[in-house]
Amino acid sequence: MAGNETNESTAESREVQYDPTSSRYNLYECPDCDNIVLALGRDEPPMSCHDKPMERVTDLEMSVQPPDVKQVLLQAFGLPKAGLDICLCVIGEGPLSANEVAESLGYDRSTITRYLNKLVELGLLERSELNREEGGVVNVYHSVDLERMRRETLIGFYVWAGEAAALIEDANLTKQDYLEENPDRDLPEIFWDSFPED
Amino acid sequence: MSVTRRSVLEQLATASDATRQETTTIEALAATLDADEYTVESHIERLEACELARITPDGTARVTITGEELLELNTTEMVIVDAATSNSKI
Repeated sequence: MAGNETNESTAESREVQYDPTSSRYNLYECPDCDNIVLALGRDEPPMSCHDKPMERVTDLEMSVQPPDVKQVLLQAFGLPKAGLDICLCVIGEGPLSANEVAESLGYDRSTITRYLNKLVELGLLERSELNREEGGVVNVYHSVDLERMRRETLIGFYVWAGEAAALIEDANLTKQDYLEENPDRDLPEIFWDSFPED
Repeated sequence: MSVTRRSVLEQLATASDATRQETTTIEALAATLDADEYTVESHIERLEACELARITPDGTARVTITGEELLELNTTEMVIVDAATSNSKI
């Protein structure tokens, strides 16, 4: 259909390829084994494996879809756009009341509280209880040290990427192993059976 | 001149006292912060909604115990006060 063709051509036009000359990130592979590493932010001293310097990947032909920051936050951290909106709304503006944040963003008041707690759970915010003059406490949400936030989000994402990479490796191995052991079964059936849905 | 809400809270904490319930005027705060009174008053009203400041019937203002405790957290980054989650004593 014409609509599908348009979508496919749009997706293709948005594809990106790894550029070894870019300093944004680097991919290295071991000349002796199948170890491949992603390095962000530095390439000196060079990565080593088997006591040899790893080699920069230069021959990758596969293109990938450019990551969408909203999808990345949702997939890797379970954080919907609302969570990021809350952070962006308050930086440089605080202290704000939760009601103000809700009004400003057009979210329900309970949504704000829910995502504030989610951000605490992720380690991106800290929650403190402050005393009220009339008794009881007020919850205050404040950002953690920015350097700590940078480290937490990057390592957290690497954990997610590691899980995803392990899944892709499992998928590749599953294909090979099962085809050898089950020549009479269809590959799609074998493949998806090995990744049961939660 | 633009003045941040946090700097208004800090100046309010300097010029008033929660425990002794000493207050200060909006005019005095605006003069110290080199800001216009309307802006300072607007920030104080918002701080009151966060339970960080208290405006008295005579129009003066003071920091609250909550406001003093917030400043003691020494956090300069984003701060959201969720007053609705408080557990008031009866």
